[in-house]
Amino acid sequence: MNNIKVEILFPEFCNLFGDMYNMKYLKMCLPNAEFIETALDEIPAFVNEDVNLIYLGPMTEKTQEKVIARLFPYKHRIEELINKNVVFLFTGNALEVLGKYIENEDGSKIEGLGIFEVYSQRDMMHRHNSYLIGKYEDIEVLGFKSQFTMMYGDNSASYFLEVEKGIGINKESKLEGIKKNNFIGTYLIGPILILNPLFTKKVLEMIGVEPNIALEEDTMAAYEARLKELRKL
Amino acid sequence: MKKGFRFYMALWGAKTGTVLLKLLRRNATFFPGKFALKICPDFIGKIDKPKTIIAVTGTNGKTTVCNMLEDILKDNDYVFIDNKYGSNIDAGVATTLISGVTFMGKSKNDLAVLEVDERSAPKIYPYLTPTYLVCTNLFRDSLMRNAHTEFISGILTKYIPKATTLILNGDDLITSNIAPENKRIYFGIDRLDTDLDKCENIARDIIVCPKCNSKLEYEYVRYNHIGKAHCPKCDFRSPDIDYLATNLDLKNMKLTLKNGNLEEEYDLISDNIINIYNIVTVITVLKQIGLTQKQINASMKKLKIVDTRYSEEVVDGIKIITHLSKGMNPIACSRVFDYVRKYEGDKAVILLLDDLHEAANGSENIAWQYDTDYEFLKDESIKQIIVAGARYLDDYVRLQIAGIDKKIMVCKRDELSAVDGLKLEGIKTVFILHDLYSMELKEAVKKKVEVMIKNRATEQEEKVENE
Repeated sequence: MNNIKVEILFPEFCNLFGDMYNMKYLKMCLPNAEFIETALDEIPAFVNEDVNLIYLGPMTEKTQEKVIARLFPYKHRIEELINKNVVFLFTGNALEVLGKYIENEDGSKIEGLGIFEVYSQRDMMHRHNSYLIGKYEDIEVLGFKSQFTMMYGDNSASYFLEVEKGIGINKESKLEGIKKNNFIGTYLIGPILILNPLFTKKVLEMIGVEPNIALEEDTMAAYEARLKELRKL
Repeated sequence: MKKGFRFYMALWGAKTGTVLLKLLRRNATFFPGKFALKICPDFIGKIDKPKTIIAVTGTNGKTTVCNMLEDILKDNDYVFIDNKYGSNIDAGVATTLISGVTFMGKSKNDLAVLEVDERSAPKIYPYLTPTYLVCTNLFRDSLMRNAHTEFISGILTKYIPKATTLILNGDDLITSNIAPENKRIYFGIDRLDTDLDKCENIARDIIVCPKCNSKLEYEYVRYNHIGKAHCPKCDFRSPDIDYLATNLDLKNMKLTLKNGNLEEEYDLISDNIINIYNIVTVITVLKQIGLTQKQINASMKKLKIVDTRYSEEVVDGIKIITHLSKGMNPIACSRVFDYVRKYEGDKAVILLLDDLHEAANGSENIAWQYDTDYEFLKDESIKQIIVAGARYLDDYVRLQIAGIDKKIMVCKRDELSAVDGLKLEGIKTVFILHDLYSMELKEAVKKKVEVMIKNRATEQEEKVENE
């Protein structure tokens, strides 16, 4: 497929935890693709044109409110694109902006886009850190979580990973993230495409290109070593 | 705060525990305070405290700043308590305060210098009001603990007592805006020839105006978000600096510090910008508490950055530099990588950045590597990079993503055998960059490098003799 377009939403804000390197790595895998970086004060490209992948990385809590406000007018367009099988990759707390609401410790709520029937609760003085191995189709995805929130709601019909080690959307859940058509939202943070070469191949297939990834031999060696290491823990 | 039975139980128990621990030749730098806080949770609030408390917080430099402050104060015959050998969280602070009171709880000292972990603000500042709180800088740090700068600056603003005077890095737009209602004094370094128009770092935590969301205009960028900026649409801007370092003369190792109309010259003990910031911070604090230029400078000249953080040694014409490069701390590592690339002459770099605890008991979250400017190691003067340790495969990928040629890398699990691959031909300096908790490993690697350099020199001598 020619003219692959990848839209990175609000990179000046949503760039925590090295997640932006997911896109740098994707650029290495898709050297001819067009990468559009949309700032928070700009209208997202996906509103008026077709894009193949939309990426949103982790952000601060205040930024979540700004992002919700920015995306709210495009809620139906986002739903339309999810239904049209456009690939989305939302990492860390980016997924929360599409839920019903985010609840603070004092009970106040920040309304989300409400695209998914889930909500999240903040606990700012207790940060959750864990690692994860989970099954996605026929592969294992691994990674790390580091977050102030837990997500609640029923994702049993639309989860991303079936957790083998670690937690799902909350400590009682074994179903991680949300997957609907080609929308993938996950609490995993960091360079998940680099850590998961097999998953990156799946993403490329979802976009509709050959699953040729950059630095395949070396990323696979690191992936296999980490998988072994995490299984031992 | 009224003392009560619980307070005295906690104090006497902690004091007795200190004596017992010392008899057992154990460090009494944490557990006495931990015990006291367990018995009396508001112990820090109840204990008598010195009249003047200098607290030092911030992402990077707080230990160095405290060490320098303490050394200069001691050199000028000040008597004070500090947590130099203790922890910088609530239990460490409590332990230090316990050491500064009599058995009946009366304060023995007028001055305290306390390093305070920024994440511990909610457990310390409700009970302790620093006279001066120094904030060196606020950057991305361990994401697992500190999350992000908005979180840390938020808790500092929430918990710093209103009566505290802040001494802040005015070149850091995040630090300079904490606790906006407090009285504040800014230090900074004037524009340098090495400053840039654009940021070349990955991690930038204040790109847009926090008041109106407009993109900030940087007059210059020193590194990451350090520099001078203003908002083109509102009044948000870098503050005016009270103690401004100017005329930075690295050749003669001098700087001038401007405070109002007063200009004073000081000697530098390091040419590294991070340490120059530490020096400026220290001078500002000491001037604030009444030391003279003469007192500060005479003591400063005797100081040296501690060996565990930086050391250099020349072995048969090749310099070996060990430099602390705190793993999981992207800015600290990036600054060191920048220092390495700008260091004169061709060099080899040995990276020992693993968190050894994680390596032994878990699997390190390597997200921090992708906030770190490994790209700085792609420099013509860096002829070889040796990566070793538990995360060697991750480093290998990260360095390649930074554009570094595989051909110049040696990548092995075992650190000492990786060093076997060191090529000394044409190398002027070997850098050993290590984590805070890998001192023994660093020493072993350094010894091996020394032996390799000596063997090479011997071989060269023998060759010359044979010819």
